[in-house]
Parts: sequence; C-alpha cells; structure tokens
Amino acid sequence: MNKLFARFPKESGFEITLAVFALAYLLVFAGLPLLYNIVLSFQQVDLMEPATLLRPFAGLANYHDIFSRPEARQVLVNTLLFVGLSLALQVVIGFLLALLFLQDFPFATFMRGLFLAGWIMPGLVVGVIWKLLFAGDFGVLNDLLMRSGILHDRIFWLSDPAYSIYAVIIANVWLGVPFNMLLLSVGLAAIPGDLYEAAELDGANALQRFFGITLPMMKATLGAVISLGAIMTMQQFDLIAALTQGGPANSSQVAQYWSWQLSFQTFEVSAGSAVATLMMILVLIVAVFYVRSTRNERMV
Amino acid sequence: MKKNMRAVCTALGLAFTLANAAALAASLSVWAVDEPDNYTEKMAREFAKLHPDVQLQVRKVGFSALNDEAMRAVMSGNGPDVIPVDNPNTAMFAARNALLDLTPYLVKSKVIDVKQIFPGPLKNASWNGKVYAIPRGTNTLALYYNEDQFKAAGLDPNKPPQTWDELYAYAKKLTNAQKNIYGLAFSAVGDEEGVFQFLPFIQATGADWDKLNNPGAARAAAFWQKLLDDKLASPDTLSHRQSEAAATFINGNAAMDINGPWELMAVEKGAKFKWRVALLPTEKAGGTKASALGEQNHAILRTAKNPQVAFEFLEYMYSQRGRNWNEFGMLPPSKDTVTKDPKWPDAYKTFNEQMQYARPRGPNPEWPKVSKAISTAVQSVLTHQADPKKAMDAAYQTVQSIKK
Repeated sequence: MNKLFARFPKESGFEITLAVFALAYLLVFAGLPLLYNIVLSFQQVDLMEPATLLRPFAGLANYHDIFSRPEARQVLVNTLLFVGLSLALQVVIGFLLALLFLQDFPFATFMRGLFLAGWIMPGLVVGVIWKLLFAGDFGVLNDLLMRSGILHDRIFWLSDPAYSIYAVIIANVWLGVPFNMLLLSVGLAAIPGDLYEAAELDGANALQRFFGITLPMMKATLGAVISLGAIMTMQQFDLIAALTQGGPANSSQVAQYWSWQLSFQTFEVSAGSAVATLMMILVLIVAVFYVRSTRNERMV
Repeated sequence: MKKNMRAVCTALGLAFTLANAAALAASLSVWAVDEPDNYTEKMAREFAKLHPDVQLQVRKVGFSALNDEAMRAVMSGNGPDVIPVDNPNTAMFAARNALLDLTPYLVKSKVIDVKQIFPGPLKNASWNGKVYAIPRGTNTLALYYNEDQFKAAGLDPNKPPQTWDELYAYAKKLTNAQKNIYGLAFSAVGDEEGVFQFLPFIQATGADWDKLNNPGAARAAAFWQKLLDDKLASPDTLSHRQSEAAATFINGNAAMDINGPWELMAVEKGAKFKWRVALLPTEKAGGTKASALGEQNHAILRTAKNPQVAFEFLEYMYSQRGRNWNEFGMLPPSKDTVTKDPKWPDAYKTFNEQMQYARPRGPNPEWPKVSKAISTAVQSVLTHQADPKKAMDAAYQTVQSIKK
C-alpha cells in the first residue's frame, strides 16, 4: 500500500486530477450499473417496482434457477461455441487479410477501406442482410453453394437447429473481421522493416520470417485483439436479434441474448441479472488478459 | 421611463413564462411501433394539425423492443404520453401500475362509448374491470389463397379447404418443389407472432392457452409438424415472421397463407394473380371455429405529463375508425363503426365473419411468460426435440406455475 502511494508525488497535480475524473466517471457510469446488476442477481425483483436497493434477498436462488432450466446446458455450449469459433475465425481471417493488405498492390488501401464499411454498419442492418443471404428457399448463400456443387440440398440455415448457431457465427465473423484486420494492420506496420531485411540477408524464407519475426513481434497486439474480440463477441446482441432470436427451440441461444430475453421479454429480471453477472465474470477474466497484453506492449 | 421599461420587461417576462407553460401543457409525445401505413404517426400528425398549439413528438420503436422500452420509460419516469400496446400485454402493464386508468375519462367522453366496443377487444384493453387502453382497431387471421394456382392444381377456388385434412390435402396438391411453390405459408417464429398463429389451431380442438394439457393442443402441434415434415410449408416457417410468410405468398412461392388483414395492401400491390380469403379450416367438419384476436391498443402511461391531451388524441384516433379498413387494413373495433364502401368487399365479409370466432389472448398479467412457454413447446415439436404430448404437457405445467 505504501508503495502505491509512494508513486504519486512523482506525478504532477494536473495528472492526478485527470485520473480522479476518469476514476469518478468509471465509478458512476460503469461501476454502479455493474454493481447494481450484481445486487439484482441476489434479490427477488418484481419489475415496475421503483428503483430501490431494498428488495427481498434471494441468496443463490436466482443462480440455481437459471442452471436448473432445461435450456441452460444448451446455452452454455452455444455460448462457448459462439465465442470460441467467432474469435478463432475472426483473428485468423483478420490476420491473413492484414498481411495481404500490407503487400503493395494496386487499390490496396481502397479495398481495405471497403472492408471497413462492413464494420461501421449497425448489427441490426447486418442481421437483416444476412437473413436474406441465409434464407433457405431463395437465399443467395444456398444458391451459390448449390451452383458450385458443394451442396445438393438446401440448408435451412436459420431454421434448422443443426445449423442455426453456425449461421449466427458466420455473420458475426463477417462483422468482426474488419476490426481485427484494422488492429492487426497497425501492429504489423509497427514492426521495423530492417528486421525483415536483416533476416532476408541471413537467408530466412517467408515462412521462417513469419514465425521468427512477425508472430513474436505481434504477440502483444494479438493479445489485445483476442481479448477485445472476446469482449465484443460476448456483447454481440443485435445480430442474434435480427437473425434467429436464439431459435429455433434455443438452438442458437447464447448467454447474452438469453439474459436480455429473461430480463426484458419475460421480465424475469433476477434470472436475467444472474446470467449477466456470470457473463461479467467471464469478461473480467478476459479483461485481465487484455490489460496484461497491453502492459507487455508498453515494455516492448 | 425607467419604470415603464421595467414594467414592460416584467410583462414580457411573464408572457414568455406563460407562453412556455402553455407550450409545455400542450406537448404530446407518442410512440409508434413499426407498422404498415404508419397508422399512429399519420394519426398523430393529423391531430397536431387540428391542434396547432400541440407540440408533437413521434418516436418509432421496434415491435419486439416495445415492452422493455416502455417498462424502462415508466421506471425512469421519462416516458412518452401515449404508447401502443400489443393487446395481450395491456393486462401486464396495467397490473404493474404502468398505465393511466381511463375509466374516469371515458365516463365524460362524448367520442368513445365503451359499450359499443366489441367484447373481445374490450377485454384485452381492460384489467380488473377498469379500462386501461383503447383498441385502435382489431384484426384476426384468415386463409389467403391463390386462385390461379388452385385452378392449375385442379382445385375449385370456390371450395377453399374446410378442415385440417382438406388443408393438408390441398397443400400437398399445391406444393410444387420444381417451381419452388409451397402449399402453405404461415409463421412459427419463436415469439408472440408464432403464438398468435398457433392459438387458433389449439382452440379449434377445444384446448386453449390455459388448457394445453388437453389432447387437442398436442394434435395441433402434431399437425403443424406434419405440414413441415412433408415440406408442404417451408422449413423457414420456423424463422419467418408473418410479413415474411405474406411475402412468399405475394411472390407466388406459397399457394396459401395464414395471415391478417394488415397484409391486404401489400397483397393488392404485389400479387400478380387472383387471390381470395377464406375462413380458417376447423379440425373436423363442423368443428369449433377459432381465430386469434390481434391489433394494438393505445394506452396512456401513468407518468404522462399531459394526460388530458393524450386522451384527446386517443379520442381522435377512435373517431377515425371508419377509415380503419380501407386505409390501414384493420377491422372495426366497435359495433357502431361505419365503413363506407369497403375495399375488397369479399375479404371484408370473410374477416368480419372470422372475427366472431376470434378469442382474446389472455388476459393475464404474465402473458409474455405464457407466450414464451407456448412458443418454446411449439418449436421443440417442430424441430423434433420433443414429442407433441410431452411438449404441451411441459408448457401446461409452466403456464400453471405462472398463473398462480
């Protein structure tokens, strides 16, 4: 503790004031709602009661409630699938695209700009577009897959419980790739070019240069991209609302959408808060990784 | 002189304050959900034109976001004056003390005579014997069918299907996979829209939302399952909203479509074939006729700043009900509505007849939970995750526990 305070005198008063403002802002606009959500998850909540902190204490009943629901297992599996697959594909595709656009070819910057257009679009709009692409009978995706001979029968992406979660993941990957590409491009551009030149002189081939220089130098950026991607994926809501609403029969239900449905569709606020609190713990763990990876970045 | 100036200033200041107060007293904030022909928005603009002193604000809210947005608005006290409410949810809002009790206003009203409102819509606008909302119109479901495709399939357009068996047989004859035509389109999407479409089927068997353990409910679910399994309706029925089902009918990709009168404008505009409307088939010949009761109510939030202006707006909308059918594809909400020279006279007759069999959803203050239990059961049957009887029994248990 003493060590912590000992740091302060070195900083100027102005900086401390700024930090205090930032801290106050965080507490009021991020901290309090989070705390309130945790409190709600341990209470019996009836909606429409005035916003008060004094509600009957429910202990772990809300948590027990959500885990004893028949869909709980499926939601857990779907959430892991959704976050895991989305992240893996977003990072890999984003990295490959970033490498591609690093090469010098005509219209490289223009095309990179086009990719970003997808990222700017609101999730709901992207959802509506993907709903048309995924449509079973007349969707573009089925048409393409069948024309190219990959499929012989239509896939009902959004209505077949075997595919619905993957349909949502595909749309989410599409939505997330530009962001990954952008951050990774910045990271790639920051690697000093003379490193590559030296390696080339030493006779390292492209693959060796990638694993010997690019990947280690990108460690911090990758850490940041992965943690930010995980947080954004765990928050992804609009897409699911527009595409499947967690259906059919919960086959594409993920925790964040479930939490919303419980809180605001069936008004089971306590259960919804419990799910949200569990999600928050997950995000916190990821956030710790994020902070650690950015700290490394500063040291480099 | 100085004194005069001061007096003038004071007077000006006072006038300004008064003007401000007057402007505030006559502000009206209305929410509208996405809807065909922008009914609420149109009505609000007409009302504001008649009352130049009224400051009007209209905000569009998505149908699926309406409930939670409204709840949050009430909790924060910053809500609009008038909100649209899907009719089964009026009880939910009223029971939680979110809505203004309109009964005292209605006693004095010269425009709205509650006794004239049809019992079904009135029931879904009331809670505990008090009226909390005014139906803007009413609607129900019927069977649209494509006359040209009927003829092409060798079916008599004058004899639409009367029973489920006939509906199945017709759908089978009309389905043409090569031409991308399904026999029937409807919506089994996993929310209130799907439930709205499912209820007439279980009610035709004698079951109902609070009697899901009645074997009829399982028969209805099994019938839907058979329609999907045999590809007489698109597998995407599970994710299609009613508007999407209507679109496939309009494009000629479904020969029949279970839908409401609000789609009439779209059908008239888009369909390049002769179409008609028939009553929903019953389970067996001469069996119980049933249909869903839909359309929105308009309510005034308890936190409304200008309840008087808001009520006058509800009166204005109600006074325009004679335009419901021709302009907005809604049925009249009351016995005394005069619809002059109705468009699509045959459809008007059919929908009005069907209306006699329309049953309210609920009322139950926990309707969203009831609805969720039903749609979960339906979807688990249609995806073969549960057999119809088990699914309906489970939903019955859920609804029982909610009702208590």
